[in-house]
Amino acid sequence: MKLNILRISGPLLALIALTWMPGGATAAEPDARSIVANSLQAFYYAAKDMRARVTMRLINAQGQERKREMTMLRKNSGEGGEQRYYIYFHTPSDVKGTTFMVWKYLQKEDDRWIFIPAIKLVRRIAADDKRSSFVGSDFTHEDVSGRSVDDETHSLLRTEEMAGRAVYVVESKPKAQSDYARRLSWIDQQHGLPLKEEYFDTRDEKVRVFTADQVEQVDGHWTITVRTMKNLQTGHRTQTRFTDIKYDVGLKQNLFSERYLRNPPRKWIR
Amino acid sequence: MIKRLIELSMDFPKSTLVVTFLLTLAFGAQFVKIHIDTDPENMLSADQPDRVLYNEIKKNFGIHDLIVLGITDEAGAFRPDTLKKVARIIDGILKIPGVITDDVVSLTTTNDVRARAGLLEVRRIMHQIPNDATGSEALRAAIADNPLLSDKVASADGTGLAIYIPIVAKDQAHHIGVEIKKLARTELTEGQQFYLAGLPIAEDSFGMEMFKQMGIMSPVSGMMIFLLLWFLFRKVTLILPVMAVAMFTVVWGMGLLIGLGYTVHIMSSMIPVFLMPIAVLDSVHILSDFYDRYPAIGDRRETLRQTIGELYTPMLFTSLTSSVGFASLMLAPIPPVQVFGAFVAIGILVAWLLTITFIPASIMLIREDRLKSAMGHLKAGDSDLTRWLQRFGQLAYRRAGVIAVTAALILAAGFWGITRTVVNDNPVNWFSKGHEIRIADNVMNKLFGGTYMAYLVLEGTADDDMKRPEVLDYMVKLQRTLDADPAVGKTSSLADIIGQVGYVLHDSDSAWRKVPDNREELAQYLFLYQMSGDVGDLDNFVDYGYRSANIWIQMKQGDNRIMARVQDLVSAYTTANPPPVGITLEWSGLTYINKVWQDLMVGGMMKAILGGFVAVLVLMVILFRSVSLGVLSMLPLTFAITLSYGLAGFVGKDYDMPIAVVSSLALGLSIDFAIHFIQRCRSCLARTNGDLARANQLLFGETARAIVRNALVIAIGFLPMVFSSLGPYKTVGAFFALLMLFSSMTTLGLLPGLLKITQGRWRGNNAAVQPSNAVKGD
Repeated sequence: MKLNILRISGPLLALIALTWMPGGATAAEPDARSIVANSLQAFYYAAKDMRARVTMRLINAQGQERKREMTMLRKNSGEGGEQRYYIYFHTPSDVKGTTFMVWKYLQKEDDRWIFIPAIKLVRRIAADDKRSSFVGSDFTHEDVSGRSVDDETHSLLRTEEMAGRAVYVVESKPKAQSDYARRLSWIDQQHGLPLKEEYFDTRDEKVRVFTADQVEQVDGHWTITVRTMKNLQTGHRTQTRFTDIKYDVGLKQNLFSERYLRNPPRKWIR
Repeated sequence: MIKRLIELSMDFPKSTLVVTFLLTLAFGAQFVKIHIDTDPENMLSADQPDRVLYNEIKKNFGIHDLIVLGITDEAGAFRPDTLKKVARIIDGILKIPGVITDDVVSLTTTNDVRARAGLLEVRRIMHQIPNDATGSEALRAAIADNPLLSDKVASADGTGLAIYIPIVAKDQAHHIGVEIKKLARTELTEGQQFYLAGLPIAEDSFGMEMFKQMGIMSPVSGMMIFLLLWFLFRKVTLILPVMAVAMFTVVWGMGLLIGLGYTVHIMSSMIPVFLMPIAVLDSVHILSDFYDRYPAIGDRRETLRQTIGELYTPMLFTSLTSSVGFASLMLAPIPPVQVFGAFVAIGILVAWLLTITFIPASIMLIREDRLKSAMGHLKAGDSDLTRWLQRFGQLAYRRAGVIAVTAALILAAGFWGITRTVVNDNPVNWFSKGHEIRIADNVMNKLFGGTYMAYLVLEGTADDDMKRPEVLDYMVKLQRTLDADPAVGKTSSLADIIGQVGYVLHDSDSAWRKVPDNREELAQYLFLYQMSGDVGDLDNFVDYGYRSANIWIQMKQGDNRIMARVQDLVSAYTTANPPPVGITLEWSGLTYINKVWQDLMVGGMMKAILGGFVAVLVLMVILFRSVSLGVLSMLPLTFAITLSYGLAGFVGKDYDMPIAVVSSLALGLSIDFAIHFIQRCRSCLARTNGDLARANQLLFGETARAIVRNALVIAIGFLPMVFSSLGPYKTVGAFFALLMLFSSMTTLGLLPGLLKITQGRWRGNNAAVQPSNAVKGD
C-alpha cells in the first residue's frame, strides 16, 4: 500500500523532513519522492495559516498589463493535506469586493465558491481540472495550492548549483494525462523551495517556466515572495508578489464559509 | 551601336552563343534563392493604413493564423464512436509541433460553463466521451445552448464538428496540414469525411499550385508553341533558337527578379507566361521574313541583313512600346503588380536584345545547303494562306467605308459590354471548382458560421471604455444589424460573453442573456468569465486595457461585393444611430483587406492602363512623326481591350484581379501588329513609288503572314492554360487568345481601309521618316 506522506499530520511530517535535511555533508542523497514531498510541504504548507497581500501582474506578449490585488488567507485544515483558501479582490476597482474560496482536497475535486457583489450572488463552481487557470492568470489552481506528491513519479536527475545555491534537479511525470508530459524542478537543497520549474508538453517542447524571483525568510519560514509563470507559447506571463506576509495569525475554520464570502472579515481584509 | 552589336553577333556567332549561354546560366543560378509569397496581405504595401491597422488588430486581439479541421459524419457526429475518434484526433493534433496547443478550440480543449441548480460547472465541452445516445444528445444540446460554441465547434444539424488549430507561423502550415490529414485518415471510416480550411492552408495550396503552373503550364505552353512553330517553319534548327530566346528571356527576367531579392507572388509567377509570347513575337517576325527572302537571295548573311534592315525599326518600336506599357503598371498602388510590371518591362527589352543577337548568330551557324533544302517545301505549304490573305487584304482595302462603320458598331457593342462589368473578386475562387480548397470552403460554410472573417472594431478613447454599458449595448445593436445580412453567418463579441455569463449565473434563464446596465455587474461578469477560463479567453474580443473591442463577423461568402454590402449596411445604421461618445468604428479582417486591395487594384489598374495607353500613344506619334498614324496604331489595342472586356462583361465574368492585370497584356501584344503593319506599309510605299494599293498588296504577303503566324502561335500556344487549376492562369490563357484574335483582325481588317481613307493626313511627311536603312541591302 502506498503511503501518502501528506496524509501524515504536520509535525510528524516536519520530523520526517528533518531526518534527511542536510545536516552532515556526507549524508546519502535522499530519494526523489522525498525531495518533492518536502518541497511541496515547504512551498504550500508553511505554518498553520497565512495571510498575505498578493499583487498579480498579468503581462501579455506586447507588454500590456492587467493588475489585480487581493488578500489571500490560507489555513491548513489538518488531515489529508486539506487546505482552505480565501481570496478577496481589492482591484480592479470595478470588481472590488469579489471573493473567492477554495476548499482544497488532494484526492478529489476542489470545492470553489465565488461571490459576485454587484448581484450579491454566491455560486459554487465545480471544475474537474486543477490545471485550469487561477483567476485568469498563467498560474493554475495547482500552482497556487499545490498537488499531491503521488500524482507524479519523480526521479532525481542531478544536483547542481543555481545562483549560488545547491539544488536538486528532479524530473516529475504526471501519472494521469495532463497538459504537461514532464516537469523539471530545481529544488533548493536547504529550504526545499523550487527555484525554477520547466513544464514540457507531449511534444517535449518547453511550454511554461516558473521562476522564484525572490525568496525570503518570513517569520522563520522560507517564502517565495516574488514568482513568475511564463507561457512560452503565447508569451504571456504572470508575476505575483506577496507582501505583508504573516504566518500563524490564528485564522478560524469558520472564516472559510459562504457567510464570510458575502461579508468579508474586516479584521483580515485590509 | 546596337547595329554594331548585330554585326558582331553575325561575325562571331559561336562566341555570341557561348556568352548568351553563360549569362543565362548566371541568371538561372539565382533560381535556388526563390522565395514564394502567397500572403494576400502582401497585395497591399507594408505601410498601407488598412494593413497597418489589421496587423495591430491581430496583435492586440491575439489573432493567430488558423487552420480549421471540419469532420462530418453522415450518420451524425454525436455518436460515442465518432466522438471517440474526434477526441483521438484532437490528442494527435496537440502533439504536432507548431500548433499553439493552449489556444486550440475543440470539444476536449475548450471550457464550457454550465449551470445546474446553483452550481456553475466549468469543464471541457466534452469532459467525458458519452457512452450512449442520451449522453451524446445532451452534449449536442449543451453546445447548442451556448452561442459562443454553437455553429463553431459543432454544426447546428449535428452532422459536423470543427477543430480550430492556431499555428505559430504560416510557413509551418504545410507540414501541420499533412500531419492533420494523416491523423484524420487513420481515424475516420466510411461515411465520415474531413475538410481542411483556413487561410494558411489555402495559401499553402496556392503556393503549390503556383509551382505546378510554373513547372508544368509554362513548359506545356512552350511545347505547344514549339509544335506550332514547327508546323509553320518545318525546320527544327531554325525553331530551336526561337524557343531558346523565349526560355532565356524567362530565365533572365525571373533570375533577375529572384536575384534582386523579390518574392515570387501570384503576379510575378505569371511573368514567364507573359514574357514567352512577347519574346516569340519578335523572333517569328525575323524568321518569317527570313523565310520569305532567303530562297530569292540564297545567302544567309545577306538575307539576315535585309531582314533586320526591314525589321529593325518596327521591332525596336514594338519592344519599346510594350515595355513602356508594362512599366506603366508601376503606377498601380499594388506592390506585386509594380514588381510584375517592372520585370515584364525589363524582360521585353531582354527579349529584344536576344532576338537581334542570338537569332542571327544561330542562323549563321546553320549550313547554307541545309537551309536551302529546308526552304523547299515551305513555299507550297504556305501558298493557301498567302492566297487567302491576299484576297482578304484587297477586300479590306476596297471596302474601307463599310468595314470602318461595322468596326465602329462592334466597338460600341464592346463598350456596352464593359458597362455591364461587375467588379468582384474572391481569392478562394481562384481555385477551380473541384479543388479540395473550394470543396472544403463550401462544406464548412454550409455547416458552420462561416469561414470568411471580417472584424468590426470599436475604438474607445480611454481605458475601460469597453466596459461602459451603453457601448456594449451599441455592440449588440451592431451585431443585430449585421445578422440581418444573409451572408453573415455568425457574429460574436464581448457582449455575447457577458450575456452568456448572465445566462448561466441565473440558472440558464434566457431572460438574463443580456448586457447588464450596471457597470460593476458587467465588469464582474467578465471577471468571472476570466476566472473560470483560461488566460487568453477574452483576448480575441477585447484588448488588454478594455479600450477597444472586436466584433467577429463570420461570413459564408467572401466576395468583395458582399463585403461592400455588409459595410454599407453598417454605415447606414451608424449614420442613423451614431456610436456612443468617444467611440469610433473601424473595419478590418482578411475579407475586408481583400476588398481594400481590390478597390485599389481596380482604380489603380484603370489609371495604370490609361497612363500606359497615353504613354504608348505619345511614343507612337513621336516614332511615326504623325498624329494620324499614331492614333491609327492604337486602334488594334483599343479594339482588343474593349472587345475582350466587353465580352467578359457580356458573359458575366467578374472583373477580378487576374482580369485587371491581363489588360496590361493588351498593351504589350496588340500594339505589336499595328507597328509592324504601319511601319512596313511605309517601307512598301517606298518600293511601290507611293502606290498605296500596290503597297497594300505587298503588305498582305510577308507582313500579314507574319502577323497571322504570330497570332496563331500565341493564341493556340497558350490555350492549354485554360485547363489550369488556378483561375488567374485560366483567365490569362483565354485572354491571350481573345487579344490575338481581336488585334490581328483589327490590324489586318481595319487598318488597310483606314490607312487609305486617312492617307492625305499622313503621307505628306512620309519621306522624312523612312526606316533607317543602314543594314539594308537592296
